[in-house]
Amino acid sequence: MCLYTFMPGVTFNKACFSVIKYVALRHPLSCLISVSFFFSHRLATKVTIAGGALYVTYDSGLLGGSAQGSEVLGKAKAAIPPAVDEWVKYFGFELPAFPKMGFSPVEAWNSGVQSSISALSSGPTALGGYTNQGLQYLKDLTK
Amino acid sequence: MSEKELGKKLDRCLADSAVKLGAGLGLGIVFSVVFFKRHTWPVAFGLGMGLGMAYTNCQNDLRAPYLIQRNIKMAS
Repeated sequence: MCLYTFMPGVTFNKACFSVIKYVALRHPLSCLISVSFFFSHRLATKVTIAGGALYVTYDSGLLGGSAQGSEVLGKAKAAIPPAVDEWVKYFGFELPAFPKMGFSPVEAWNSGVQSSISALSSGPTALGGYTNQGLQYLKDLTK
Repeated sequence: MSEKELGKKLDRCLADSAVKLGAGLGLGIVFSVVFFKRHTWPVAFGLGMGLGMAYTNCQNDLRAPYLIQRNIKMAS
């Protein structure tokens, strides 16, 4: 770990392998201990990272019930624009303004659903009326 | 269950589904990178787990009124 801290160009694996090689060449009996230390150290780091991610997810309520999940989404929605503004100011460039839409997709969808369902519900009655009208017209023709 | 209440429950279900899918994706990516040499299957597994948890939560939320009535009947 000391090599990794003070030599940024060297990767973690290369540093650990170089330490193991040094120890194994000088003290062959300790080769086994150094290899097991390397693997246990790497495994401990990985387990810490994965366990930490799992704990943060559980603690923030992401794995709870429906109410908790929708609360977390609301908090995230509220927190994202200030965070984006802060990062934009930090990096010193302006994002283009979000284009404003002239219509609301939710309202358009809801009105579409209502029109479709009302047409479907009044469909059989209207069809019956048109059929009767057509039959009456044909009867008048044959008179 | 009134229509307004049903609408609120469905909104909650959608929000919870988005959160669970995102959490499953994130955890899947972490586990894939840390343990499984950047394979794709842990990401798919995480997404599946998130979807399953969201489905179960929605199911329990929508069945809640009927379950409460059943519990009262069993207690009496």
